[in-house]
Amino acid sequence: MKIDKVMDRVTHTVFALFLVVWLSVAGIIVWGTWRFISHYGFLSPILSSRWNPLAGQFGLWPFILGSLTVTVLAVVIAFPGSLALSVLGSRILQGIWRRYFVRLLMVFVSVPSVLYGWWGLIVIVPWVRRLSGTSGYGMLSASVVLGLMILPTFSILSLEAIRQVPESYVEGSVGLGATEDQTLWRIILPAARPRLVQAALIAVARGLGETIAVQMVIGGQIGGPGLLHPAATLTTQLLTDLPFLPPGVPGHDVLDFMAFDLMVLMTIIVWLQMRIGSWRYE
Amino acid sequence: MSKSDLSPKTLKPIAQGRSAHYVMAGIGVAAMLALLSVVLPLAVQGLPRLNMDFLFKPPRELGGGGIGPEILNTLIMVGLSQCISLPLAIIIAIYRVEYDHIRHLARWFDQGLQIVLSLPTMVIGLIVVDVAIVRWHWPISVESGILVLSLINWPFAVFLTVQVLQRIPDEWREASRALGASRWQTITRLILPVAWADIIELTGLTVARLMGETAALIYTAGLNVTSRFAFSAPGETVAVHLWYIRTEGLMPDADQVAAATGLVLLLLVIAVLWVSQKFAEWVKNANL
Repeated sequence: MKIDKVMDRVTHTVFALFLVVWLSVAGIIVWGTWRFISHYGFLSPILSSRWNPLAGQFGLWPFILGSLTVTVLAVVIAFPGSLALSVLGSRILQGIWRRYFVRLLMVFVSVPSVLYGWWGLIVIVPWVRRLSGTSGYGMLSASVVLGLMILPTFSILSLEAIRQVPESYVEGSVGLGATEDQTLWRIILPAARPRLVQAALIAVARGLGETIAVQMVIGGQIGGPGLLHPAATLTTQLLTDLPFLPPGVPGHDVLDFMAFDLMVLMTIIVWLQMRIGSWRYE
Repeated sequence: MSKSDLSPKTLKPIAQGRSAHYVMAGIGVAAMLALLSVVLPLAVQGLPRLNMDFLFKPPRELGGGGIGPEILNTLIMVGLSQCISLPLAIIIAIYRVEYDHIRHLARWFDQGLQIVLSLPTMVIGLIVVDVAIVRWHWPISVESGILVLSLINWPFAVFLTVQVLQRIPDEWREASRALGASRWQTITRLILPVAWADIIELTGLTVARLMGETAALIYTAGLNVTSRFAFSAPGETVAVHLWYIRTEGLMPDADQVAAATGLVLLLLVIAVLWVSQKFAEWVKNANL
């Protein structure tokens, strides 16, 4: 057929375009990283903590540490809430209540992150300031904001994970005389565990990549150690330093290197997700 | 033996061994209230400021302005980038699912797509600044913003559409091919009509995501607006405006303006989700 031939050609062209675009995005990042590494080395910028790009000092350790700390804390904060929400949505609420509950969660998934940042500025930062006596900007505020931001995504994915557990497992367990609590802890959650871990990994990826909500409440400089001082993450530093290091300035390559670090972290997460996807419940 | 001994009360299952469920319900309600606490102050603070002037007038650094141009920019940028990226994404998804040319590469494709998908949008903004704005000398403008948004949306829409297409049973495709339909006849007469409703509903999600995009647009679409719309003029969106007011702006009434801007953004997102859902339902029932 003629239309088939034409559409085959269109499809192949678009697919080639897709590959070219994204491979060149990766290529630009890798090329910039290469230029950076050949000047400053690979490990020393990662492990050093002196950041003064205009003077040629590129210590990325505080930002890497900031990214990891904020993300891990956020997932820890969001975990109980999302487990509870997913149990509420899949095992407790029924019928129309469940439908509206899931719909409401979907709305929260779509709430733009800048709104969570706004909320952090007017609620969390003053609150932390009052409790701790510091400025209120810092990793603690960022973790709380990020935790609340990933909560809906995390809950929806966990809810899907619990729903995938076959109803026959539940019936078998109840038929053997287990109470509902025993069924939940001993059957449903263990059977859903691989997908729950995958949900957590997606939440981690979302948290690592989040820029704007974190940038608004984290303070943006390298302060002292600890959760209550202003800090920065890889993504927020990319955002704040792009105007100071425009392309052409010698330090610009460090931005590509930061993007490369983020890409490596994401690759590790995706790889873990794929590995966990092949786990089976025994 | 009196009748009351056999009252239904004694025959009902006993509510025992459910305490953990009650605890879960309690925590869940608390988490839901925490989420609502993000939205409610927005409505309380923003509503008094929300009027026609605010929706249509341009912003003013000295206070009292509106967000008219920002709303227009948001709608045009999101709309056009959807027009560019959605058809491209559907074609890629068709290639991934309906053609079996890359069967043995499918795993690699999926992994690569996942990585691209989880790339921070800020990184895509950085690439566009490097390539389009510095090397191609595009201005910081609406068109650069459209480029960024299309790039962000493309893999996301591919991912969602692939999910939809994979849910269609293979037997249907086999039946269609067995009846003598060619590949594109199968796609246009069977696959797409079945998939449209879900694709439309998920497109609502991608539109909402683009509307809230901030980080990648700050250095590509810019932080200000002109009084008249132009593709080569700076195009600040509603989300970027909210970020700007809260972090760098110096307006005296910043608190109120920020809340009202956030409320407009939230209402836009909810409207998009609602419309896409209703439209999907209509398509599903209309038997096109």
